[in-house]
Amino acid sequence: MNTVRSVLQTAVAISLAFLVAALFILFQGSSPFEVYRALYEYGLGSWFSFTSTLNASFPLILTSLSASIAFSSAVVNLGQHGQFLWGALVAAVTGVYLKLPSWFGTAFLAVLGGLAGAGWAALAAFFKRRYRMDEFISTLMLNFLAEYMTLYLATYPFLDPKAYVPSTRLIRREYFLGSFFNVNIAFFVAVFMVLLSWWFLWKTWRGYEARMMGYNKLFATVGGCDVGTDTSLILILTGFLSGLGGALLILGGTQHRFMKGIGANFGWDGVMIAIMAENSVVQTFFYALFIGFLKNGAVGMEFETSVPSEFVMFLQAIIVLTLVGARSGFTSLSDWLRARSELRRLMKQS
Amino acid sequence: MISVLTQLLHAALSSATPIALAAFGGMFSFHANVFNIAMEGMMLMGAYYAVYGAYRFGHWAYGVLFALLSGLALAMIFSLFAIVLKVDEFITGIGINMLALGWTTYALRATFKVKGAFISQAISPVPKLRLPLIEKVPFLGEVLSLHPFPVFVAIALAFVCHLILYRTTFGLRLRAAGEEPVAVASVGLSVRFLKFWSAILCGIFSSFAGIYLSLGYVTLFSENMSNGRGWISLAIIILVRGEPVPIMLMSIVFGILENLGLLLQRYAVPPQFTAMLPYIATLFVLYSYARRSGST
Repeated sequence: MNTVRSVLQTAVAISLAFLVAALFILFQGSSPFEVYRALYEYGLGSWFSFTSTLNASFPLILTSLSASIAFSSAVVNLGQHGQFLWGALVAAVTGVYLKLPSWFGTAFLAVLGGLAGAGWAALAAFFKRRYRMDEFISTLMLNFLAEYMTLYLATYPFLDPKAYVPSTRLIRREYFLGSFFNVNIAFFVAVFMVLLSWWFLWKTWRGYEARMMGYNKLFATVGGCDVGTDTSLILILTGFLSGLGGALLILGGTQHRFMKGIGANFGWDGVMIAIMAENSVVQTFFYALFIGFLKNGAVGMEFETSVPSEFVMFLQAIIVLTLVGARSGFTSLSDWLRARSELRRLMKQS
Repeated sequence: MISVLTQLLHAALSSATPIALAAFGGMFSFHANVFNIAMEGMMLMGAYYAVYGAYRFGHWAYGVLFALLSGLALAMIFSLFAIVLKVDEFITGIGINMLALGWTTYALRATFKVKGAFISQAISPVPKLRLPLIEKVPFLGEVLSLHPFPVFVAIALAFVCHLILYRTTFGLRLRAAGEEPVAVASVGLSVRFLKFWSAILCGIFSSFAGIYLSLGYVTLFSENMSNGRGWISLAIIILVRGEPVPIMLMSIVFGILENLGLLLQRYAVPPQFTAMLPYIATLFVLYSYARRSGST
């Protein structure tokens, strides 16, 4: 019953969001019908569109998974962007210079990228434990540091002199991730991480402690959880997921090299998706696919209509705000109605 | 040596202005206990509409008008979600920031047909002011004179905000709404109304910071040009617990650091490293703050 209600709420909210966005498209002088048709055709319309949507989603799945595990444990990791960048850079650089057998090398690079992200998050964890610095601000500031540091590394020491923008060399061809019916293996890795995270949160005692921290930190402390260690662990773990996302983008994406701006907006998108999904791992997966669909469809939308692909970013924000607004509005409305009927009942009795 | 120092301070005051202006806005929210993190987005929106107005109508005053209206609009949206619909303030703030980033990037492309940045001779910048008397004072004159007017507004606001917060009924009520909302409600005042006003002030001040960014500091609009300044403002507000004059001073410290970075670039330090300085400084301030509050 509860699931049905939340699915219904979501459907209403998303339709509402598309309606609001349609008004903006109309205002801009384009036809919303055509825009949405192009969005659908390029995002879902054929097997090819469908698989490219899956391929566009895997970095989002990992960054949003990272954000949602952190938030559900009451750990404010907003450092997905930086962790993602470090994962991507480390995988890209070692992928150029390291010689390893193909399959092992790919797996090694992916893990290494994840560890790079974990290491960057560990810095915030260290600040938190040793100096009690709030992770909300420290992870944010570390994002900016990561942005400039990786850009420096790609601009000076590891620059590919033949490239037009600051970027590293192409990684060795044998490390490229293959695909399976056009679906990149990176997508399956992301799905596997979703399953693994679900297992961790719901079937292990560490995961149980993490969820308890999310409900109430004080309660968790009194109940015997080592909140300090758990917080550090969650930070590092979620850093690993973001870093893995970055590494997989290098191994399984289309560029196969680290270049300026490769991190795009994956970090913030991940945070947004986690919020839309109310930090539930399973919902996060589906919302990440939904946002992946929008992003992938946007390319087609730009191709077929006069609406530039940047519009999707705006659409995404509208969807998020309408969704959380409608959800919250439903709740307060139903609370109000319940209170009113209760009041009537009491009045009749007296 | 003196001329390097005066140049540094002159430039520091300039880069401190947008951070301080946005922080004054966030300060009202801070005291009303509204966790408003939308300064970044409001600043970006203000920067875009300042350029839009100044370009379309050929005078910077229109830019100011448009920017303030855009800040007002975002504040209304914030209030609608956070105060009327009772959505989590953090979520609303992130949503607004994203909305601003998405909308300005899209509008830049759709309206001006450019990607990345819009530069034009036709954008009218905010005029620079000479200070008649202070200009003659040797050191102070060089530091203070020839700034666009928002710089002076920022300095004045540090004191005005102090007076508003601690010497007016509105300030008293605002702070009370943040600290003891039940008490405020019990004397018949609306806590929501006060929170709404704090959001409006935050929108106006932050978009004013945006005006300075795109019509004062430089005369152009580029994608995501607020570049984390809103977050630095937020860090400053939290660190000085929303005290107006310390906000101004702390912003100037950040301004000095930012320009120290530019100075270092002359000595072949890569720009990526010098650009990191304000963020490292924020981390350091956070560190010393945690130390200080830990010892008491």
